[in-house]
Amino acid sequence: MKTACNHQHACIQLIQKILDGEASPEEEAMFLEKKEQCLPCQEGYALEKALKEQMKAKCRVACPESLVQRIKEKLFLALVLISFLIPLILEYKLK
Amino acid sequence: METTLGLALEESLQEKAIDPALARVRFESEFMPHMNALYNFALRLTNDEEDAQDLLQDTFLKAFRYIGSFESGTNAKAWLFRILKNNFINDYRKKSRGPNKVEFEWVEQSYVGDEDAEPAFHADIKAESVQEMLGDEITKAIQALPVDFRMIIILCDLEEFSYEELGKILNIPIGTVRSRLHRARALLKEKLYDYALQKGYRADTLSA
Repeated sequence: MKTACNHQHACIQLIQKILDGEASPEEEAMFLEKKEQCLPCQEGYALEKALKEQMKAKCRVACPESLVQRIKEKLFLALVLISFLIPLILEYKLK
Repeated sequence: METTLGLALEESLQEKAIDPALARVRFESEFMPHMNALYNFALRLTNDEEDAQDLLQDTFLKAFRYIGSFESGTNAKAWLFRILKNNFINDYRKKSRGPNKVEFEWVEQSYVGDEDAEPAFHADIKAESVQEMLGDEITKAIQALPVDFRMIIILCDLEEFSYEELGKILNIPIGTVRSRLHRARALLKEKLYDYALQKGYRADTLSA
């Protein structure tokens, strides 16, 4: 088992590529095989994975319900007004 | 907000015409589901709740104005995030109200030259330490990043956009997407390492 990795920079980039879902199946398979023999890569992989998972689990705020309602009201009010305005303007133009 | 609304109404009538009933349906089915994600993004960018709310409202208003030019069934999420990001850059970069008057740090201004320059080697935090951290601590580290780095990490890790979508939202080539993510994450890990040290996380879980 290697305890030092000569390609650390490249490996971290590949790890990120894999975890971002951007690597080909071959790239992923090749890396996972090499990972078995390289401790820094195992740790690097575990770290990047943990970071992504923790962010997703813990770093999200929901939109306050009051804001959701406010936006909905304003936009739908605008839509209602437009439904009146378009026929009125057309009517005006035809006169 | 009211005058903006009036303006939006006028402009909507001049923009590509769309049946109001159809607009409403599109809005509810294709745009509203992304409100939470957009709010979260706005908050991370502005670092201020009131600014985030304004930014979100402006974004939806703009989306509404241009709804006629949005092709239904295409990538609404990416479209909306792009509008928000542009709104942010145009309107909020130079101003901020409230107590958090932060000088937004933009990476582009400080990094000139080789995008692939390797981040300086530093001690890495361990996966276990990250798993033990509170959401607030990780969020704090994210907020400490320059805005460009913050943006791309959130869009990639939280919102799971592809590299191609990231390129379109941020208006950068895919090569830049990858290298910026790499550098942003390196910096984030450094910040987390610093916080872990401060908090006194078990020293033996940190590599030398």
